[in-house]
Amino acid sequence: MTNFMKSNKFFLITALMAAVIFIAPSCDSILDDPRENLIVESGVDYTNMNLMRDVYQGAYYSLYNLQWETFPLISVRGDDVNAEGDQEPLLETEAFRYDRSFWMYNSVWLNLYSDIINWYAAIEEINKFKANSNNPAQANQYIAEIKVMIGYEMLQLSRLWGGVLIPESSQPNELYDSDVVPFEEVMQYISDMMDEVMPALQTVAPGQRDQLPGGVTVHTALAVKAMANLELKNWQEVADATSEIIGSGAFTLYGDYYELFKTPGKLSSENILELQYSDFGQGTGEGVRYLHAFFGPNNWTPEVEGVGGGWGFWEPSMKYIKFMLDRGETVRLETSVLFTNEGIDSLQAQPGYETLPAFISNTTRDNDVWGTTDGSANPRSIFSSGKHYLPSNQMIAGRTTYGSNKNFICIRYSEILLIHAEALVSGATSSVMTANAAVNEVRSRAGLNNLSGVSLDVVLDEKYAEFAMEWGIRFYDLVRHGRTSELNGYSEEDRFLPYPLEQLDLLPQLGQ
Amino acid sequence: MLSASWVYAQGVSVSGTLTDAETGEALIGATIVEKGTTNGTVTDIDGNYQVKVSNADAVLVFSYVGYRSEEVPINNRTSIDVSLEVDVESLDEVVVVGYGTQQKKDLTSSITTIKSEEITKTPSTTPMQALQGKVPGVQVVSSGAPGSGPTVRVRGIGTLQGESSPLYVVDGVFLNDIDFLNPADIESISVLKDASAAAIYGVQAANGVILIQTKNGSYGQESTFTYDGYWGVQRAQNVLEMANTEQFVGYALATESSADESFINNAFQRYGRSRTNTSLPAVDTDWYDEVLRPVAPIQSHTITASGGSVGSRYSVSAGYINQEGMVKEVPNSYERFNFRTKLDVNIKDWIDIGGNLNVSRSEQHVASNSIWFNTYFSVPIIPVYDQTNTNASPVQLANAQNIGYRGRQNPYFNMLYSDDQNLQSRLLGNFYADIELIPNKLSFKTSYNYNYSSLNTRNVNFEFNDGVRFNESNLYKANSTSFDQIINNILTYNESIGQHSFTLMAGYLVNTQKSDRIYLRGDSIYTNPTFDNEELWYFTNPEEEINTSSSGDGGSNFNVTSYIGRVAYNYADRYLVYGTVRRDGTNKFQEKWGLFPTVGVGWVISEESFFDFVGVDFLKLRGSWGKLGNAAVPAADGEPSYQTQILAVDDQLESGVVPIKQFDYLGQWETTVETNIGITANLFQSRLSVDADYYIRDTENAAVTIILPLVRANVRRNLGSIRNQGLEMSLNWSDEINNNIRYNAGLNFATLKNEVTDLGGQQYLNAGSAEFRQRSILGQPIRAFYGYEVEGVFQTPEEITSSGLDADFVADQSLEPGDFKYKDQNGDGIIDDLDRVVLGSYLPKFTYGFNLGASYKQFDLSANFQGQNGHKILNRKRGEIIFTTDANLDAELVNNLWDGPGSSNKYPSAAGLRKGYNQAMSDYYVEEGSYFRIQNVRLSYNIRGGELMGRPLPSMRITFTAERPLTVFNYNGFNPEVSDGIDRQTYPIPAVYTIGVNLKL
Repeated sequence: MTNFMKSNKFFLITALMAAVIFIAPSCDSILDDPRENLIVESGVDYTNMNLMRDVYQGAYYSLYNLQWETFPLISVRGDDVNAEGDQEPLLETEAFRYDRSFWMYNSVWLNLYSDIINWYAAIEEINKFKANSNNPAQANQYIAEIKVMIGYEMLQLSRLWGGVLIPESSQPNELYDSDVVPFEEVMQYISDMMDEVMPALQTVAPGQRDQLPGGVTVHTALAVKAMANLELKNWQEVADATSEIIGSGAFTLYGDYYELFKTPGKLSSENILELQYSDFGQGTGEGVRYLHAFFGPNNWTPEVEGVGGGWGFWEPSMKYIKFMLDRGETVRLETSVLFTNEGIDSLQAQPGYETLPAFISNTTRDNDVWGTTDGSANPRSIFSSGKHYLPSNQMIAGRTTYGSNKNFICIRYSEILLIHAEALVSGATSSVMTANAAVNEVRSRAGLNNLSGVSLDVVLDEKYAEFAMEWGIRFYDLVRHGRTSELNGYSEEDRFLPYPLEQLDLLPQLGQ
Repeated sequence: MLSASWVYAQGVSVSGTLTDAETGEALIGATIVEKGTTNGTVTDIDGNYQVKVSNADAVLVFSYVGYRSEEVPINNRTSIDVSLEVDVESLDEVVVVGYGTQQKKDLTSSITTIKSEEITKTPSTTPMQALQGKVPGVQVVSSGAPGSGPTVRVRGIGTLQGESSPLYVVDGVFLNDIDFLNPADIESISVLKDASAAAIYGVQAANGVILIQTKNGSYGQESTFTYDGYWGVQRAQNVLEMANTEQFVGYALATESSADESFINNAFQRYGRSRTNTSLPAVDTDWYDEVLRPVAPIQSHTITASGGSVGSRYSVSAGYINQEGMVKEVPNSYERFNFRTKLDVNIKDWIDIGGNLNVSRSEQHVASNSIWFNTYFSVPIIPVYDQTNTNASPVQLANAQNIGYRGRQNPYFNMLYSDDQNLQSRLLGNFYADIELIPNKLSFKTSYNYNYSSLNTRNVNFEFNDGVRFNESNLYKANSTSFDQIINNILTYNESIGQHSFTLMAGYLVNTQKSDRIYLRGDSIYTNPTFDNEELWYFTNPEEEINTSSSGDGGSNFNVTSYIGRVAYNYADRYLVYGTVRRDGTNKFQEKWGLFPTVGVGWVISEESFFDFVGVDFLKLRGSWGKLGNAAVPAADGEPSYQTQILAVDDQLESGVVPIKQFDYLGQWETTVETNIGITANLFQSRLSVDADYYIRDTENAAVTIILPLVRANVRRNLGSIRNQGLEMSLNWSDEINNNIRYNAGLNFATLKNEVTDLGGQQYLNAGSAEFRQRSILGQPIRAFYGYEVEGVFQTPEEITSSGLDADFVADQSLEPGDFKYKDQNGDGIIDDLDRVVLGSYLPKFTYGFNLGASYKQFDLSANFQGQNGHKILNRKRGEIIFTTDANLDAELVNNLWDGPGSSNKYPSAAGLRKGYNQAMSDYYVEEGSYFRIQNVRLSYNIRGGELMGRPLPSMRITFTAERPLTVFNYNGFNPEVSDGIDRQTYPIPAVYTIGVNLKL
């Protein structure tokens, strides 16, 4: 009995110890298990060209994924618009009281630069695919389009801060030892970069592209080049680049100025660069959208009941409205400015504006009623930006977020026509189109009569009328041409924002 | 007086007296049981007993609460007198040290153990709440929401990243929290505070280790049934007084903001004027009154059966707990079932096997944070319901947007139209075989530990119209499951040669932690969800309803393998040496292997022949040094990766990939190195016990976020270091005045100094948000509040001009009386970012607790007190004015705003509150967080040997408990317990009053 016990025990113990000894080393191999749900670069199949296309489309994702504070900071300083609401950094910036510790400055800096750094990462990855591709031209086109995006956001960065750092790879560390590049050199850099990439780009209009309609084409590169040279006052370069766009015949002004900024204007023949958003035709489920609530009304009675309003942070200026009325503008004013009853009252309180045209109403042509109607006060904006408004009856039924399914236009053909005219009246020449013709093309769409002998004043006024609330175009025009007396509280050193405090700490060269 | 002779008509009769071993006083109501039977009796008022037993070889078990039980064989005697010893926290007590046990007197490290009686004093759903104020060096920050556990920190914060919560080991299973355990099932909670004690848990031990042992039966113990339960009510404490309509209107008009004036006018128009004061709107809503329930019930019931025979012991229990939340209308509650069984069997003389299984199932309904947020911020001039808000449906709730405010405010929108449910299931299993290879010397233990946890989250928002906007319904569902297992194989060898005795241990462990998560989010649910159709809260048309970009899945796979060894050496109970080593490997970081050694020494001076201090019974000096790893740091990618995204192209959904070139690389282990010195002493015949420890804990190679220029990316490297140091002390006194009156008193306190010592070359690391900056700065506490120092409020224009501030700056900021006077730290006449300083830390510098207990005959009274000092709270609620000026403010602020010279030197004027200049982060927002609290007062009445209708009553204890009846603090919020120091939307922490019953059969 005892012997049996002992042998039994011996057997059991031996088996257990053996199990432990054999399991132990094999278990250490679990330490090589990779991270779950993470596509690491070393695991990428660089012969998979579908993946390359996804990387390329990811670049567009970064472009379209525009954080809400970026556009207002770029655009707030002109006399076309007032910041409303309770965002101190925006209100103070509009009044030219800058503070380097405003969160918005650092945030916009990071938003723009992060896109650029990620775009360089995409270019570096696409180059790896290209090495395995039997159609390297495809990869070259992708890279060229991404570089145009880089150029566009570099332009915005440098317009805000003047001298900036120029990244040339996905490694921001490289910039620790890099010098600040002055404003003019940045603009030249952008212009050169556009020249470099143009041969690889598609020549159809963005809306006509087969793959990725609405994407970057050679015209986008030309437009960015023209805008960079405009800042440099290289008028002939501007005229040449815009002439090429005009001469291509790929673009026309969209006939209906009001609808251009709404659903019918999506990917229209006028749009050279636009950010795309969509509810994908469905009243529920997936949607990709820009945060239009920033522009929306505090109070409204939409034609389609239940559609949400917004914050009322973006208010067209009284100065702009009066300017438009003085010019006898109709559709452009109706499109650009939405009126509450209080807004109309305060306008009528201005001498000379007691009687107003019929289209100035608190009800849009799509029957959305702006502001309160029970006589109670509209505490924030009394005017709203109509270019950032999608009528409730154009929304896909079921959606209630303000501006859902609306695109955001960045560069329009009419801007090309008017900077073409701006260059010509500043001394450049063009065989493609005269300044008169360019201005009149824009005016005729707006229902205005033709002019002759256009001057810089006429062009700048036309731009003011055409581009209010769009991308700070007005502010940069005034600064470029030294007409800053139009800007309340502006002094010479206010052209550029101070570098964000966080960045000064990291990059001491910014402070020198 | 009493007799137990009903069981056996014949047998042997034994009698005698029970006394206290030290004093000789008689013990009244002590139980005497014949071992292995239910036959027994209790002593009378003189300590005498008489019992008839089945035979002359029987064994009697003598027991009395607070004394150590004794078993005495009868051996043919008829008279047996027994004296029992007081069961003070004894030095022979066995302490669990991880993969083994040690006697308390042999310890060289710092371990504090809390027993079940202390744990169940606290009426809480979560066991860790019971430790608040009881263990020096352990900070417990309560959470008031039903079922949610407290934040627990052992010896400060030793990491810049990830979790700082300790590792919990429940009967061998590793856990991140033990909120699901039934406090009544716990035998003991041991806190392994220093590195030497915790190092045996290696890479997961850096934030301290807390060992939990669940209850078990004893070998040879008669089967007993225990019922333990309480019923009670919770009541919100220290509810903050908000401005009422009169105060609010006064403030709003004083801002001279036309928008605010128009809101008030709109309120007149919509809701009318007050009859008593026609300058005020008619409505005066006290939102806390509208939202908080006056009292909310709580109850807990546990039944345990336990016992054992010669070769086995067991414990089986069932528990139920139900806690209702403090919010009206909305479901907010916590309900949990716990079932547990534990069994040890001595199969052969050389092998023991056993296992335990712990099942827990809980259902939690959470009142959404936005309720608290809106309750605080809603203006008093709108009512709850508004019949004129005709578009609103299904309920006509008042909407602040109707009178012009930006948001709808009314918290009833959050209360009536949403339900957030967490359904949690936990399964803990532990099975082992313990084989004696050489009797009493060499043993081998193999065990398998399993932890399954499943959490189903369901958040539903009903469709409603707020009168201004239609809000579609939406539904969010997430299922997370985790499957953790640990296999332990341990060899233990004991040897004694003369005065030398030692224990050697070696083992190999494998731990895999696998988790998976799936989540879906969608809107416009096919059948509009309401509280009446919970069975239809599903995605009926997934294709149309689900938002694919906010749905998805995730998972993790974390593996650790470890080699461990330990040696404990003892020479003549005088010199102690203790050392462990653990080599851990993990797949989480780029460096796979880490080595964690520790060594401890102890010198029991009182055992030395030269030692003869009167009154000192035991004195030990101890010191230890050890190294720990921190695996709670989130895993590092280690290389560039691809991130997938969706985008719209020509109204079609497309996918894109963003290559991310900035990545975490953790090439070293975040390592904590700690030195601990301490003394343990027992004095005055063990009436006084003293434990004191001083430690310095350095975290090296801490994972730190490096801020890159230009790009919005956080990359982590092992470049930081942090130091925590402090003194911990506990003193316990226990004595009796005569045989009827006993008392005890205890005091504990801990100091903490937390300091960032390296940030990888960076001078500081920002935390918090840009508006409410927190910053980790070298030489300062982690995530310290950072901003301007307020010197006062400008009273007169002359004070501004003579303030030394630059005239341009004054003009630019349009400074006027009623604005803050910030300290111009660098004296350049301008207040800007260069004038910011550290304003304090959310970590308390000093925590303390004390307790008093007394018993008289059948009554016991105990009281616990605790408090914290030297920490700050960011009053983020007041700070919300930066984002919107639409909200109400607390009455203290509104009543004391500056409104003329001399009126206030603390708060700005009403208009000043709205100015960016005054809204900068400053110590106006950062308030003193110190508090003192009466934590727990309990009166119990013990019934032993009662009789009803001739039958003896089971021993029974009735308790009356007041938990947190009083908290004293100056902070302008309603709760000074804010775990991260940022008070934005904190659940009120209620006082709890309960009646409890404990029954033993």
